Amino acid sequence: MRKSLSPEKLLPLTPPVFHILLALAGEERHGYGIMQDVARQTDGALQLGPGTLYGCLKRMLAAGLVEESGARPDPELDDERRRYYRMTALGRRVVRAEAQRLVDAVSAAESRLKPGFAGGKAS
Amino acid sequence: MNASWLVRQLCRMYSVFLYAYPREFRLEYGGEMRQVFRDGCRDAAQHPGSLHLMRFAARSTADWLASTVREGYSSLAEARKPVQRGWVAEWAVAGLVYFFVSTTLVQAYVVPTGSMDGTLKIGDHILVDRATYATPGWGRHLLPYREVQRGDIVAFRYPEDVEQTYVKRVIGVPGDRIRLENKQVIRNGSHLREPYAQFIDSSRDVYRDDFPARAGIFTTPRGRDMLARHVVNGEVVVPAGMLFMMGDNRDNSADSRYWGFVPRENVVGRPLVVYWSYDATTERLQSWSLDHLMDVATHFFTKTRWERTFRVPRSEEAAKVEP
Repeated sequence: MRKSLSPEKLLPLTPPVFHILLALAGEERHGYGIMQDVARQTDGALQLGPGTLYGCLKRMLAAGLVEESGARPDPELDDERRRYYRMTALGRRVVRAEAQRLVDAVSAAESRLKPGFAGGKAS
Repeated sequence: MNASWLVRQLCRMYSVFLYAYPREFRLEYGGEMRQVFRDGCRDAAQHPGSLHLMRFAARSTADWLASTVREGYSSLAEARKPVQRGWVAEWAVAGLVYFFVSTTLVQAYVVPTGSMDGTLKIGDHILVDRATYATPGWGRHLLPYREVQRGDIVAFRYPEDVEQTYVKRVIGVPGDRIRLENKQVIRNGSHLREPYAQFIDSSRDVYRDDFPARAGIFTTPRGRDMLARHVVNGEVVVPAGMLFMMGDNRDNSADSRYWGFVPRENVVGRPLVVYWSYDATTERLQSWSLDHLMDVATHFFTKTRWERTFRVPRSEEAAKVEP
């Protein structure tokens, strides 16, 4: 049932959800890893708190965008077991669709905001 | 200030803050959230000075505020979907049934005085059946209606103050001629043998025991009116639509002898059952106070008269005896 869900139905994504998906695009991560990667992606502009992070993960798990991939210690941090999350195929399609939507939006903005365009600032 | 000490304190505080999240969410993610918070806290503490840590604490507080509201709302919305409807419907039905039952079928009362002692004790909590004597109407054929009869125990609105509900026994119905001779009731010329009546005072009070007599200090205006207008040949004659009521505790009962007849429409119903009997004083029972609540809470098991619980006060027709 979830497989047949069209990715466009879930758009637009909220910034936290979009960046969490991007963080999981390359590899699976645990909660703090996601948080750090999101901060890196956005140059520190988006700093997720634990409540926001896990609230989003809860909804993304329910929508089938991500899944848990077991618990294990992070080799670099400490020996505490952490739950890891990875992106599903649906999650990948959705984040691609969202990126495409943003590209379209940006190119629309660029074409309208070109110098000399009516309504723009005359150079 | 020791940074790792501060981190520990912040983590401890955060653990408490987690309780603001809905239970399900906390159980599922609380542990991980604590981990993430601690990691963030440690990272912030590595920077020299407290600026990073303070910024981290501020950010976490904002995150906590926003996400508790969001998760609380979403857990409410989820709970409301299928389960809540059944729940609301159940309570609505229960409420309606309660409303119907409590307004038309039964009502709970407490007996605060001893005028029916022998039959009903001070502190008896009774359920009153309101249907049986209900004015005949739509329910006449549905409900077990019957007319008030002699010997019935009846709850009624006290004619001098309809805010109060009294419980007494019906001694006279319309047309009956009533008088007392040395505590004994003589109805329509017959002496009554009343097994339910209780006498606690061996002395003889003319007004009380040889009724009707000249109005005394306890006779109310309604009682005086009864004595003035409804006494024929030394007997009170119960007029149409009225009842003559007396307490079973004859020597200590303010009843129709003192305040006159009870109009039929003042009748509330018939005590069905004593659902709880609690040993308490009249003042305590008449208005619920904190003292009374405390008393009930601490003495429930010892002061409850278990042997009276679920007793059924019976109506009893007095036997006639020849003089």
